[in-house]
Amino acid sequence: MIPNPLALITEITHRCPLHCVYCSNPLQLVATKAELSTGEWVRVFQEASRLGVLHLHLTGGEPAARADLKDLIAGGHQTGLYTNLITSGMGLSEARLASLVQAGLDHIQLSFQDSREGPARWIAGAKGHAYKAVLAQTIRQFPIAFTVNLVVHRQNLDHIEEMIEFIEQLHPERVEIAHTQYYGWALRNRDALLPTPLQLEKCMRAVEAAQQRLAGRMCIDCVVSDYYARYPKACMGGWGRRLMLIDPYGRALPCHAAGVIPGMQFANIRERPLEWIWSESPAFQRFRGEDWMPEPCKSCERRREDFGGCRCQAFLIAGDAGVTDPVCYLSPDHHLIEVARSAAQSEVAPVSWSYRTSKG
Amino acid sequence: MPRPSETSQPHLASGCRWSMQGEKRVVLFPEGMIRVQDTGRGILELCDGLRTVQEIVATLAERYNKADPARIREDVLSFLEALQRKRIVDY
Repeated sequence: MIPNPLALITEITHRCPLHCVYCSNPLQLVATKAELSTGEWVRVFQEASRLGVLHLHLTGGEPAARADLKDLIAGGHQTGLYTNLITSGMGLSEARLASLVQAGLDHIQLSFQDSREGPARWIAGAKGHAYKAVLAQTIRQFPIAFTVNLVVHRQNLDHIEEMIEFIEQLHPERVEIAHTQYYGWALRNRDALLPTPLQLEKCMRAVEAAQQRLAGRMCIDCVVSDYYARYPKACMGGWGRRLMLIDPYGRALPCHAAGVIPGMQFANIRERPLEWIWSESPAFQRFRGEDWMPEPCKSCERRREDFGGCRCQAFLIAGDAGVTDPVCYLSPDHHLIEVARSAAQSEVAPVSWSYRTSKG
Repeated sequence: MPRPSETSQPHLASGCRWSMQGEKRVVLFPEGMIRVQDTGRGILELCDGLRTVQEIVATLAERYNKADPARIREDVLSFLEALQRKRIVDY
């Protein structure tokens, strides 16, 4: 018996006014004209709700780049889904926010690149920091949940305390301090983004202190770079186990980056019911459960905790999606992670990088 | 944030709401949900932003008439405090 998915992550567009160097979108972005229509998305939300999904995450690209965002939120809300907008804030005004809340928006997750204007612009390849800071005050006036997301990496970790203090002034209930994950554009720019061990240690101390200081005011969640972990992360809570992602074109993926794995055929919601894709499509079955596992995962006592780690990372680092995630210290390919880590030990980080663009 | 007082009027925080998962009542919040059962559900269902902590304790004491009211009060306060820290409840 396959448990039903709990959350649907929808990349409703790949359009984005920002060009962040750590974007997890694929290098080949989906063109605007190929995006699903309003009606197609709403139908997917209805199918997801029937399948048992509780949370709907609207992301991108920048979801606000879609003119029909209000209708999409209304469509999700009317099926009973908890609607979450994951946004840079670019393209949102007070009036538009009011219309989204009116349509049933439950939660907004606003991303910041930094606490300072200059570095934020450098990371995003575009202006926007000051606008977001004002927008955050506006968001706080609406009766919805508010989370601030801050992506951290080698270039901003040295002022982590300052960034937490900046976020504190925005009064979100939650802050997610997300260490960059190395997929898509972030993998391309890894040498400039991977933190040093010292930065990581200082960061964890700063986060712990802030968690204590701000208890009851702001929940601080910090997801550490798995490059520095002993064991891999339980990517997406296990392949085809809890989450489903739909790309702008309608392809259903078990993980954000799964499109990079060669030889996989991902069914499109334009052609197949969501329920079939979840329970029967070959792509969702491919790494579900334990049958696919090689050693050392197969006999590992942690196999039901981390599910062998991330399949996309196994492919991106070791060249084979069917092996143990190389971040695991037991992986035969773990030396590849050690090489990447030792590149981050050098004093001066290389800072020539690729901005996210539609040219790939 | 201190513990709730006798006159606090607890309620679900902004963006947290009741829903159903199949036949079960759940509370949805950003990135998660809680399947509330038994006592927890009894407490949370009374947190409507109007009832005071004192009234909630009195209602529960009447419902579980064999339980010690002081014990119920302690359970209510620690439950609400724990959920407030997760920003699921405000008071």
